Amino acid sequence: MWRYALKKLSEGVAIAFGLVTVVFFLFDVLPGDPARMMLGQREDSAQLEALRAKFGFDQPLWVRYTSYLNDLSPLSVYRVEGPRAWSADRQGGVVFFTSGNRVGVLKKPFLRFSYQQADRSVSSILASVFPNTALLALCSLVFAAIVGLGLGIVSALYPHTFLDRFLLFAGSVGMALPSFLSAILIAWIFGFLWHDWTGLPMSGNLRELDDYGEAWLFRPQNLILPAFTLGIRPLGVIAQLVRGNVLEVMGRDMVRTAHSKGLSPLRVLWAHALPNALTPVITAISGWFASMLAGAVFVETIFGWNGLGKEMVRALELLDLPVVMGAVLLIGLVFIVLQLCVDLLFAWLDPRIRDALRSG
Amino acid sequence: MKQTALYKFLVVNLLLAACTPTSKERDPKVFRYNEASGISSLDPAFARVQSNIWAVGMLFNTLVELDSALQLKPGLAVRWDLSDDGLEYRFKLRSDVWFHRNPCFDAFPESRRLRASDVVFSLNRLKDPVLASPGIWIVRPIDSTWALGTDSVIVRLKEPFPPFLSTLANAYCGVVSQRAAELAGSEFGRQPVGSGPFAFKRWIPNEKMVLRRHPDYFETDAQGQSLPYLESVSIRFLPDRKSSFLALLQGQVDFISGLDPSYADELLDASGQLSARYRDPLVLLKAPYLNTEYLGFGLEALQGTPYANPEVRKAVGWSIDREALVRYLRRNVGIPARGGMLPNALEGSIPMGSGWQYDPEQAAEALRLAGYPGGVGLPPLVLHTGAEYLDIAEFVQSSAQRIGIPFEIEVMPSAALREGMANARFGFFRGSWIADYPESENYLALFYSPNYSPNGPNYTHFTDPSYDADYEALRGDLDRESRRARAQSMEARLLESAPVLPLWYDEVVRCTTPEWRGLTPDPLNRLDLRRVRWIRADVRKQEAPQTPSQSPRPSDSGR
Repeated sequence: MWRYALKKLSEGVAIAFGLVTVVFFLFDVLPGDPARMMLGQREDSAQLEALRAKFGFDQPLWVRYTSYLNDLSPLSVYRVEGPRAWSADRQGGVVFFTSGNRVGVLKKPFLRFSYQQADRSVSSILASVFPNTALLALCSLVFAAIVGLGLGIVSALYPHTFLDRFLLFAGSVGMALPSFLSAILIAWIFGFLWHDWTGLPMSGNLRELDDYGEAWLFRPQNLILPAFTLGIRPLGVIAQLVRGNVLEVMGRDMVRTAHSKGLSPLRVLWAHALPNALTPVITAISGWFASMLAGAVFVETIFGWNGLGKEMVRALELLDLPVVMGAVLLIGLVFIVLQLCVDLLFAWLDPRIRDALRSG
Repeated sequence: MKQTALYKFLVVNLLLAACTPTSKERDPKVFRYNEASGISSLDPAFARVQSNIWAVGMLFNTLVELDSALQLKPGLAVRWDLSDDGLEYRFKLRSDVWFHRNPCFDAFPESRRLRASDVVFSLNRLKDPVLASPGIWIVRPIDSTWALGTDSVIVRLKEPFPPFLSTLANAYCGVVSQRAAELAGSEFGRQPVGSGPFAFKRWIPNEKMVLRRHPDYFETDAQGQSLPYLESVSIRFLPDRKSSFLALLQGQVDFISGLDPSYADELLDASGQLSARYRDPLVLLKAPYLNTEYLGFGLEALQGTPYANPEVRKAVGWSIDREALVRYLRRNVGIPARGGMLPNALEGSIPMGSGWQYDPEQAAEALRLAGYPGGVGLPPLVLHTGAEYLDIAEFVQSSAQRIGIPFEIEVMPSAALREGMANARFGFFRGSWIADYPESENYLALFYSPNYSPNGPNYTHFTDPSYDADYEALRGDLDRESRRARAQSMEARLLESAPVLPLWYDEVVRCTTPEWRGLTPDPLNRLDLRRVRWIRADVRKQEAPQTPSQSPRPSDSGR
């Protein structure tokens, strides 16, 4: 089991390395000059050169790449002097060796500083917005799982009826509706047109500063519409997955046996069909969580939810590459970690995998 | 049991909170607006974009200011003198200016008073290569700056530069507290300490910023009441402009600026006035804006093509019906560019109607004279633009195609467009120029050879030695009439060579609710909240309705 865990972990590290490499080179070929985006319409070559030297844009590609890897690595080597030298305030960490003009440092991955908000580190930006996105994704998923489960079971219990077809159709619409469209529609209908009735705002965050900057206000109602919008697509998927699985399990011999034993239909569903039907659904849900971090981009932008997606849109518009790269890497890391957890959980839960691992 | 009680508590609270309607009561001491593009820094040295400029303008003062008619008026300096050789400016500072209250002054309370050394420090830091301020161009004409005692500052220029005082009114020149800036270092943009009408209170990036009234602010109104009237300015950062418009309608923000296509058709009628349904709840404020929207020819990229011939370029210019463009695509927001590059509000602009005009017959004739009758033999003209101007590009495309010019559009992200323009890669591109300061020289610099991009803003790479000589003379010319005549003659030369095709002179558009007074827009599109106040409905009924401001032509500034 430990060998299996180690193997999966090393796979995760390799994927993370690949991700860093692909992301770095992809953003390098993006058209546009980040230095120019930091200047106004009165830019000149002296200003551009100063900025390029400050941020290292004037270095060859391989130098920039190795320098980025060095910044990300927990064990890094830096110069003591120069434009991108190590400093406790900037990269942080502790020095574990010194040799001439270089120091070896043990530190947290350094994601650099934002180009546009020059005094903010990417880590602090991500740390301030990621919890909001994670909360939004989690709430959406809980909503989608509960409602999707209910609708899927109802559909499966009344197959090929009008109700089943209607739910199937609604689920398909939910899956097909792009989130930028559904976000606008939902914000407009529930947050604007029916605002007096629903009391729901079109935008806002869970915790908001008052207009005098003195106190924090807790506003759970601000979460409802974005979570609902983000949850529509997984809801459709979960409902259809549950329906298909329940229908398939209900046709098995064990269910027929349970019926013939005289168990009530509800008991058969609860005790026999659902536990068997839900395993693939749980796998799907774990995969969806990471996807929702990425999918929150439009929803956060429309609803003004201060999360990772909103930050990424801002950074992309301004070519604030360290922030975009940091956000992409963070989402990638969440994918990798979740996948790793699911693999290990399955290996622990599933006797077939467990036995295979034991037998070597 | 405990768990069940906890669940019930959470669910009941959540439902209660969800069902509570948002309060409709307004706090008249708070002004709230949305900044869709966000604010990246509150350091005046980084007041590069409008969102930063607005916030910085509330936190800091400059030595001199421009009023709504673009006339110079005292700011931190009560008066100023210029030496006879036009090189040395001597500013006498106010003695009653205090920086915002801040713990950095606790040990040295007297350093809270604004002194000449703070002004010298503020101007010098713009030159700091480590700071890498985009506003360095303002201090380039300066030879040296020094303080004379605590209340006088002397600025010596390398050569006479009449617009210099106007440039000092720019947000980049906001005076910072030397003590606070040195203590905060690179964090100053997040912990700003200035002397402006509002002081920094709190900033949750991408979410909210709050500025509070500066209780020791030096300005008063005509009745002697301290300014500003507001207690707080609350800025939200909703990136979606449609949501921002809906928030205005819901009373969650008090003001929006600019006209976004996502709500333009909803807000304005065909004549450019508020739609009937919004005339009661909203007020529209419009004013000329020193912003020229144009199409530029990259003359280097076009070398060896038929478009190197000015007659062919002029044919494109004459084929565009600017009146129709502004009427149908801009909802009458903007003034069709029937002059030259300079907006009509600037001195030195040529009279409207004597510049570009819609004349398809003249366009066809120009093509015939150039040897391309009906556009036969012309390669496609490719217009590079951002997606937000696609409708304008398509309008120009159909105009050019009507006289036979083959025309293509290439849409690209704004970063790629700027990059291509700066490196003179495009033969034809869409651009705009917003005045950094209200002087014709600022616009005419776009065609001065030493300003070739990427070394400056000459994106068209227009070259004309006599134009360059005139521009150099204009920069140092202290005589107002002579400057005006010279600028007009340079404009005429640009019309003849057609490196750019101005489309329209933009207008500032603001939308607010009828309760607010003092939000009058100006040609530099600044947000001055010093005299903004909320008027009760009963008082409002006795007043005349708020009318859009008229922007007078600026007179000679600084001399």
